[in-house]
Amino acid sequence: MTGALIHIVDDDESVRDALGFLLLSADYAVRRYSSARQFLDSDPQIAGACLLTDIRMPDMDGLELQTQVVAQMKGLPVIVMTGHGDVPLAVKAMRAGAIDFLEKPFEDELLLDCIKRALEVGAVSAEQGNRTRAARLAIESLTPRERAVLDLLVEGHPNKIIADRLGISPRTVEVHREHVMDKMQARTVADLVRKALAADGGPR
Amino acid sequence: MDTSHSAVQNGIDGDALFRALIATSVDGIMVIDEAGTVLVYSQACMRLFGYTPGEVIGRNVKILMPEPYHAEHDGYIAHYKATSEKHIIGIGREVTGRRKDGTTFPMYLSVGEGKLGGRRIFVGIVHDISDEQEQEKQIQSLQNDLLHATRVTAMGQMSSAIAHELNQPLTAILSYAGAMQRLIDKEVPALAEIRAGLAKTAKEAARAGQIIRRLRAFVEKREPRRTREPLTAMIMDAVSLGALGLAAEGVKVEVQVDPDMPALFLDKVQIQQVLVNLIRNAVEAMHDAGERRLKVTAAREGDFAVISVADTGTGISPDVVPRLFEAFASTKDEGMGIGLSISRTIIEAHGGRIWAEENAGGGTIFRFRLPLETEAA
Repeated sequence: MTGALIHIVDDDESVRDALGFLLLSADYAVRRYSSARQFLDSDPQIAGACLLTDIRMPDMDGLELQTQVVAQMKGLPVIVMTGHGDVPLAVKAMRAGAIDFLEKPFEDELLLDCIKRALEVGAVSAEQGNRTRAARLAIESLTPRERAVLDLLVEGHPNKIIADRLGISPRTVEVHREHVMDKMQARTVADLVRKALAADGGPR
Repeated sequence: MDTSHSAVQNGIDGDALFRALIATSVDGIMVIDEAGTVLVYSQACMRLFGYTPGEVIGRNVKILMPEPYHAEHDGYIAHYKATSEKHIIGIGREVTGRRKDGTTFPMYLSVGEGKLGGRRIFVGIVHDISDEQEQEKQIQSLQNDLLHATRVTAMGQMSSAIAHELNQPLTAILSYAGAMQRLIDKEVPALAEIRAGLAKTAKEAARAGQIIRRLRAFVEKREPRRTREPLTAMIMDAVSLGALGLAAEGVKVEVQVDPDMPALFLDKVQIQQVLVNLIRNAVEAMHDAGERRLKVTAAREGDFAVISVADTGTGISPDVVPRLFEAFASTKDEGMGIGLSISRTIIEAHGGRIWAEENAGGGTIFRFRLPLETEAA
């Protein structure tokens, strides 16, 4: 995924410069930040991007940055770089949702593989995010009656039961169901159910 | 001999006493006249110098001296006769003796002046101090070993910070190298970028080398050696060693050295050892502090250079203060508890003094002062 944007956060200027130099040579776009605060304040691009951060930094360390990113920038994959003896910290970062950690010094290939993987994960979660958002919008466009039909469908009831529950004719249920399928762009009932669940469960 | 002297009891045969003195005195006794001719040469002298009395009595005393004293001794006596300026007479000092076989040995020589039958004579007492000097040398060598061992230990305790500090340039070097391989493989190799990358790679390698060099100079086994050192460079070197890894820990480091400070005559590594010790102590004291600021200053105060290391840490509890500079009085869990004791030994050996003060804003300031002119000592 060349052309993707890599955010580099490291308080060491040389490391920042060198990592940027490497990633540019591998045809990535690069933005460098000298502190976690600077990154958070910059309203960074999230789509098609990845965050590469040092874990030991003054003021705000990489672990705290990681926590903030998870809270505020859903879908931005994070790779943390650790120094000597920072493995426990790195494990914490992984638990907090980092894609991977790299122990300094690391070889260029290792970093590039890691970034590739992170961007893929980011893309998948972005795709999921898109689906969720689309499904939610579609559900919001349903009438109250259509919504009631959808809920009962997702619970797995046949038209007859739904008609009984709602006190309407099975024929009317059929009409509502067609509208719901249309609005949710579902081809089959299974597809409809999947989309309805995505609206519920996916990342917000 | 004048046996009526009050120090000699009446009835004692003066000649016999004199012979007994010459035969039994542990220290060598010699008497010369004002031409430098040896009149008396005791048994002990024979042991010390290897000459028999027959070989020395009647000859010039300078045969017992190595150069340059051998050549200059006649001049010394002449100078004294002309000016009455006393350099050794009535005082005594450490000098070097020359044995018959040409070897030399350190001795303490005290010289008294007297009259004998109207003639001026000089009485010399010779005390061999080879053993004392040997012992002193051994103590110094042991102390030097201890200083070296504590320097090595200090760096061992800092190994994590050192590794961290070396990882940075290594990470940069690996990245630049990887990037340049990619740039070379491009259809049109990006020569300008490659050139820039190479320069940066070299700079990073030099940065790593600098860290190693400082480290090596610090832990190298060496003889104590005093040289004239510009203070700023010495302090900056010590701070960059002691403050390794601190930036990433969020400790702010400030150094303020009076630019007009003259060079000091000192053992650079030893003074740096004191500084590194004080800096690491300061950092430890600030471990749980909210604000972590380390300030190293050096300023001239009269005939002294005063160097201070201030922290914003927890401070020293009053019950520890009286024994602060004693060995093994440490309240810390780690370390041997000899850092401050060794620091005091080093500073006092340089004719200086070290003490601790409370930092007004919280924390502690360690200060030590060194005389600006210690060369003459």
